[in-house]
Amino acid sequence: MELTVRIQRYDPEKDSAPHFENYKLENVNKTDRILDLLNRIKWEIDGGLTYRRSCTHGICGSDAVKINGRNRLACSVLVQDLKISKSTIQIEPIPALPLEKDLLVDMSSFFEKYEIVKPYLIPKDAPPERERYQTNEDAELLFESAKCIQCGSCSTSCPSLWVNENYIGPAAFLKAYRFIFDTRDDATAERLDLIDTTDGLWRCHTIFNCVEACPKEIDITWHISQLKKAALRREI
Amino acid sequence: MAYKQVSSRSGGALSWFLQRVTGIVLLFVMIGHYILMHYNIDSGHTYDAVLSRMQNPFYKGLQMTFVVLGIYHGVNGTWSVVRDFDLNKSVSWTIYALLVISGVVFGLVGITTLMSF
Repeated sequence: MELTVRIQRYDPEKDSAPHFENYKLENVNKTDRILDLLNRIKWEIDGGLTYRRSCTHGICGSDAVKINGRNRLACSVLVQDLKISKSTIQIEPIPALPLEKDLLVDMSSFFEKYEIVKPYLIPKDAPPERERYQTNEDAELLFESAKCIQCGSCSTSCPSLWVNENYIGPAAFLKAYRFIFDTRDDATAERLDLIDTTDGLWRCHTIFNCVEACPKEIDITWHISQLKKAALRREI
Repeated sequence: MAYKQVSSRSGGALSWFLQRVTGIVLLFVMIGHYILMHYNIDSGHTYDAVLSRMQNPFYKGLQMTFVVLGIYHGVNGTWSVVRDFDLNKSVSWTIYALLVISGVVFGLVGITTLMSF
């Protein structure tokens, strides 16, 4: 099949603002990934096209882009997965982060917010001789939140972040959940203090954009609601 | 872009909780209000009918609840929306003050009106 790929381009050294360019591709298979289309354009048409990719198998989370208006991983979406009108696929960078070039955004603030919630185990006791045990039930509480690949699709799809760049965002909340509900961790109060703030938990209005955007199908809003309940429990 | 953390405790938990509680209560009070006051032909809408109904402690209590919870829910909800935006402190506090003052004024008007029956 023949497809037109409409890509947002921006070169800070040449352009005053981003613009779209169309690329016609022939012999596109329905089972081609969107990343394959980007690679073809870069390798066959315009070597200057800039985008991130690493593992190309939905694990590293580096190739999150906006495809036909929705944040998704370019390596995890096939052409046949999309509703294509007029044989055109539109690809833009994920929103709400500073644009560097073409589909490349500056993820610094995203990862700074990650660090805010102290994304590591803080136990009170000294390490035991062997591992710190957990029951299967306790571990199951964490499994879904631990699937996060830090691609940024959720946070950048959230309207609360679009209007307030200081909003901590769903990805960091999910990481906070990962440790707050870990029975081996003892820094619950400290972490809740960090997210129970003016730019924290209460800016989430359960819009569910994060859930729709998550390529790992994590119910992020549910995890945030558990954090809200935990913050509320210590108030009343 | 460097991320600046504003880590002041917001006390947002309680207002988030009360917003939900008042929302649920208001839903039932509002349905009760419409059924009892507007869609029940028997309740009557003449001056005398309204006057005698409003002297009933049950109706007065229902309307009082409606006024207080409605104003709290409205003011708290608007403040929550305002806080979504990264406004500077003076603008934010001005809006907060206006919301609180208007809430108190409308609350007093509502309560004194109800008490006059």
